Amino acid sequence: MKVIALRDSSPLVSMRLVFKTGAAQDPLRQAGAAWMTASMLAGGGSRTRSYKEIIDAFFPMGVSVGSQVDKEMICFAAEAHIDHLERFYVIFRDMLLDPGWRADDFERLRDDTVNYLEVELRGQNDEELAKEVLYQRVFAGHPYERHNAGTVASLRELKIVDLREFYLAQFAQENLTIALAGGYPEGFNERARRDFTALPLKARSQNGLDGTVPEIRPNELFMIEKPARGVAISLGFPIEVKRGHADYPALLLATSALGQHRMSSGRLFTRMRQLRGLNYGDYSYIEHFPGGMYTLEPSPNLARSHQIFQLWIRPVEREQAHFALRLALHELERLVRDGLSQEEFERTRSFLSKYVNLLLKTKEAELGYAIDSEFYGIGAFPKYLRDGLKQLTLESVNDAIRSHLRWDQIAIVMAGEGMGELRDRILANEISPMTYNSPKPDEILEEDRIVERRPLAISAHCTTILPVEEIFS
Amino acid sequence: MANAKVFAYEYDQHDFDNGLRLITVPVPYPEVVSLYIVVHAGSRNEVEEGRSGFAHFFEHMMFRGTPDYPPERYEAVLQETGASSNAYTDDDRTVYHTTLTREDFERMLAMEADRFQHLEYKLEDFQTEALAVYGEYNKDSAEPVNKLFEVLRDTAFDAHTYKHTTMGFLRDIEKMPQMYDYSRLFFDRFYRPEYTTLVVVGDVRPDEVREMVQRHWGGWRRGTYKVEVPREPAQKGGREAHIPWKTHTLPYLLIAQKAPAYCDNQVDCAALDLISFLGFSESSPLYERLVIEEQSVDLLWASNADHIDPYLFTVMARVKEDDQVGRIKEQILSTFETFAAQPIDPGKLESVKSHLRYRFALGLNNSEAIASTLAYYVSLRRTPETINKLYTLYEQVTAEDLVRVARWCFAEQGRTVVTLSNGGAQ
Repeated sequence: MKVIALRDSSPLVSMRLVFKTGAAQDPLRQAGAAWMTASMLAGGGSRTRSYKEIIDAFFPMGVSVGSQVDKEMICFAAEAHIDHLERFYVIFRDMLLDPGWRADDFERLRDDTVNYLEVELRGQNDEELAKEVLYQRVFAGHPYERHNAGTVASLRELKIVDLREFYLAQFAQENLTIALAGGYPEGFNERARRDFTALPLKARSQNGLDGTVPEIRPNELFMIEKPARGVAISLGFPIEVKRGHADYPALLLATSALGQHRMSSGRLFTRMRQLRGLNYGDYSYIEHFPGGMYTLEPSPNLARSHQIFQLWIRPVEREQAHFALRLALHELERLVRDGLSQEEFERTRSFLSKYVNLLLKTKEAELGYAIDSEFYGIGAFPKYLRDGLKQLTLESVNDAIRSHLRWDQIAIVMAGEGMGELRDRILANEISPMTYNSPKPDEILEEDRIVERRPLAISAHCTTILPVEEIFS
Repeated sequence: MANAKVFAYEYDQHDFDNGLRLITVPVPYPEVVSLYIVVHAGSRNEVEEGRSGFAHFFEHMMFRGTPDYPPERYEAVLQETGASSNAYTDDDRTVYHTTLTREDFERMLAMEADRFQHLEYKLEDFQTEALAVYGEYNKDSAEPVNKLFEVLRDTAFDAHTYKHTTMGFLRDIEKMPQMYDYSRLFFDRFYRPEYTTLVVVGDVRPDEVREMVQRHWGGWRRGTYKVEVPREPAQKGGREAHIPWKTHTLPYLLIAQKAPAYCDNQVDCAALDLISFLGFSESSPLYERLVIEEQSVDLLWASNADHIDPYLFTVMARVKEDDQVGRIKEQILSTFETFAAQPIDPGKLESVKSHLRYRFALGLNNSEAIASTLAYYVSLRRTPETINKLYTLYEQVTAEDLVRVARWCFAEQGRTVVTLSNGGAQ
């Protein structure tokens, strides 16, 4: 067990308890076990209090307990006012150390999880759907493959006893970091550490992650057929770079220049949305970033041993989907072949060196980043990144781009309507001419003439179309 | 913190000669400054037929540059300063926000002053940006709740501009590329100092910020336009609408009641805020029955969303079975009746008041969060003091106030019910 304590005079106390385990440890045929276990702890009763009693106790305090499950981390987070710290902490501790495992909580939370997959992901959020399926394709055959919430079928098979078993096996002291910040009383961190020694010392089993590295595979096109006004596109491939890798600062800089999340500065945003009006935005990533449509900053405690490089193309009109895909690949190829300019390099380096301060603007985020730094074996993230950025040169960034990025051997996921026809056009490499509602500069029109003919080498046997009902089934 | 002011930070509120207002809040979070520029114009100001969605579209156009700062240069400065920057529009406001390190603050303030005074864009850029807005509509269209609110407003309102969502009617969005001249008129009307409040929160000194704002924004000229938003006539009977939905969904039920405008000196609006929690939050008896015990509903919430003009008190439920929608509707209506019939237990009332106070305090944990909260309230009353007045009202609301307010607000004649489903739920 590790304890991170950032005590100060704030009346707000942040708590983050992170277990180094997650969906990658789901036992065989029990996909969703980690997710459901965390849900039962954060969204169900403890042995001594029903869920309703917990809600009623927390309500006047204005607090709630959140949980987040990823492949290798499960996080429980809460923030309480110092006025209520003692009352809050006792309940929160019991939720994690002495869960109630009630059948009615289980039924409700399982329904919520099935509805999350069936109604929300399949039905209402084509962008997140395409991203999640991209991860499944890139990690096919790897412990990361299944969605963190499991599948509809596996969730229906899960029993409370499976979750209790997962809890006993995985929620161990050796996996736990307790992180606290704010004006808590002296000795509070020591008390928390002592309380959590009630957990088993060692995790009982570590399934799954055996060091298998996901493979680079030939181009693949995976299409999800569903009624929609636009086509959501995500594409990517595995990379070996993660925090702590010598090329992390360089590749982060390159990715920021290509498509900093939800900002209008990246090349993709400029070339696809700003100049051509193709969609609402286009971004690139080297770290897992779920829920990007809802948040400007990434959540901490999604640390992973394996990351992918990813492009997120927000929904485009069906008639322009082929062109948009080609343009995204064209930009990627241009980045890999020509690299960044000196000016882009300087500007993006300045951006990241300062922007990193904003990522850690809350105590909660500071705690989260400290836990992630521990996972990756690096020092404090802002210093790690700034020091890394300082040492970069344009040449070193362009070298890193050439070593780790590619424009071939990519998994492409598209979600929308009329996928069969779109697949045929893509396989036949048909010309996909662009038309605009306003005059465009010659430079754009000339580039369009190249992009609209850009060949994409995908063989028919690497192409799949599935009706949306079969995703996560 | 029971008796303290809920917004306890000292602030400096200053009016410049041109009508621009500046609110500066020094806070103990080092090195960071948040700048929120609140334009007191949102989709409520889209008074002409066929112009729905325009305030939001205009927010996009504000990123299309000036002679001194074409978009590439604007972006370059944002990048060099490591700023986190974005904007949003809703019914009563358009907000441009940037958070960055203190050393670059004046540079940012000057650049923002430039675009608010000298925005200039070409017809081609305007037409291209209209496509990005259309793309935004497309991206949002998979989400049933967006459609529910589009239909709810269209059904519930006849004259007021709250009839349309901030995104606007699709038929108007499709025509946006032809509205270049109107866009210049919109800028001329509303992007004026008397329609704008600057909120600055962070590691700053108010006297220095005043001087900087005077330097860069002092020359901005006051306008003359006064918007006249049509008054909504009293609703004279219940209304209903149903949305058939193509992709798999659970049925949704939305029940809305005409409700009073935001107000910080009379208890009615505050009382409805409390009812939204007492009746429909996760600690309410109805939530306990439907979500925790029966498990017939998986989402339940209510909102008395603050608006400048009278808007709606809304309850939403997502129901697990189509054939249960009618029964759930009856349960929600019966909850309305309970509030109108008898005073609530005083202990429960105190619990909600405490919830609101602490939830507010817990949200103010960094400069950006404080600025963002202020921008919301400032767009309603142009001063942070409205927050303390509102929370004082919460303390004053009695169980009898809730009965009185529930009796007139939850009457059937002001009700609109919208359902959405794959199956037959109506």
